[in-house]
Amino acid sequence: MDGIHDLGGRQGFGTINVHETEVPFHEPWEARVLGIVRAMSPAADWNIDWFRHCRELIEPVDYLTRPYFDQWVQTYAAMLVNSDIATVQELMGGQATSRPSGLRPPMSPADVSTAKRSERNFEREIKEPPVFKTGDSVRAKSHGVSGHTRLPAYVRGRRGRVEAFHGAHVFPDANARGEKRAEPLYTVGFDAAELWPEAKGRRDRVFLNLWESYLERD
Amino acid sequence: MTRHDSDIISHIHQDLHSHLPSEPALRLKALESLLVEKAMVDPKTVDAWVEVYSDEIGPKRGAQVVARAWVDPQFKARLLENGAAAVRELGFEGNHLRVVENTADTHNIVVCTLCSCYPIWLLGMSPNWYKMAAYRARVVRDPRGVLDEFGVGLTDEIQVRVWDSTAELRYLVLPQRPEGTEDWEESRLARLVTRNSMIGTERDLTGRIAEVV
Repeated sequence: MDGIHDLGGRQGFGTINVHETEVPFHEPWEARVLGIVRAMSPAADWNIDWFRHCRELIEPVDYLTRPYFDQWVQTYAAMLVNSDIATVQELMGGQATSRPSGLRPPMSPADVSTAKRSERNFEREIKEPPVFKTGDSVRAKSHGVSGHTRLPAYVRGRRGRVEAFHGAHVFPDANARGEKRAEPLYTVGFDAAELWPEAKGRRDRVFLNLWESYLERD
Repeated sequence: MTRHDSDIISHIHQDLHSHLPSEPALRLKALESLLVEKAMVDPKTVDAWVEVYSDEIGPKRGAQVVARAWVDPQFKARLLENGAAAVRELGFEGNHLRVVENTADTHNIVVCTLCSCYPIWLLGMSPNWYKMAAYRARVVRDPRGVLDEFGVGLTDEIQVRVWDSTAELRYLVLPQRPEGTEDWEESRLARLVTRNSMIGTERDLTGRIAEVV
């Protein structure tokens, strides 16, 4: 969707705080948010792309101004309400008026040592062969889609070159709707000069990982 | 049952905005109490995860990978070919990793313009600036300006390669080994490697030689 989250190339944001202290968490509550998310029994039909989409839908002013982990709190709160696991009323006071059914029991402290070593795998087997091959000239589709997508606005309609093929990966646009589908995934390289007028004459390049249906042959 | 409907989520966000406590720490406290009451979270498990991300998983892991690549050319070749498989040799489990190498005439820098994807399992928690709008918006368009703010000056001859983490593939920059470290042991080399050099917001590690005994 054409949301505030799609930030690549937007101008007017000022300088970066490069002198930030290098610590894992700047406030104790931030660490707590991450811990809760990792410890929580999720609804069976939640996934990373649904989470990302729910975060993208935070009101634009909040998205740009609220601390990162506070946005996680807001996103999970919205997901809990949407899935009928909690009500806004309950989230205001922190007291439960009902218990959800059908969720798995909470993760125990003993499970953490195994869980911390298991990273998810997003590669899937599909029957169809990939349409593009390394070296192909491609163009990113001109139009975005409503709902979740991982095709950033700044490359839409621009020409790039397929640099690598990664097999088929879970397709985020479908995954965020609860549909299981995979598509070939490619690394596509774009010349900076193709993307930005001020990069004219430079050899700099920008690489993105794009799913097959985001691309057309150039 | 989850309703996968953008409009419903937007309305819930508006509702939450006007009703939840305004302090982030208070909002979180209410959420945690509620999840504990609903038997969805065991607070002791939360403590255990906090410990993992505060002490155990951090940039030292990535530094270990870089140092190994500097001393072992065959490991380096495997790392550049299939990052995830190579770092598994060091005991770090992940599935989708691409390692990109800085050379005399290329500089790599990593971003996630759409959210804040980061190789947490190798580098630990990402810096705040990595998650903020300024970095995410600017680095794909003006990488040289961003690098300049980080104190990295690049000549025109050096090609900048920006990697936007739009899928589940994560990136690790392999910085250049500074001259004058030829006789260093691997563990000492690892102490030289900074988090920012593995994101690409630092380039020359020569200045750190004096700091690493």
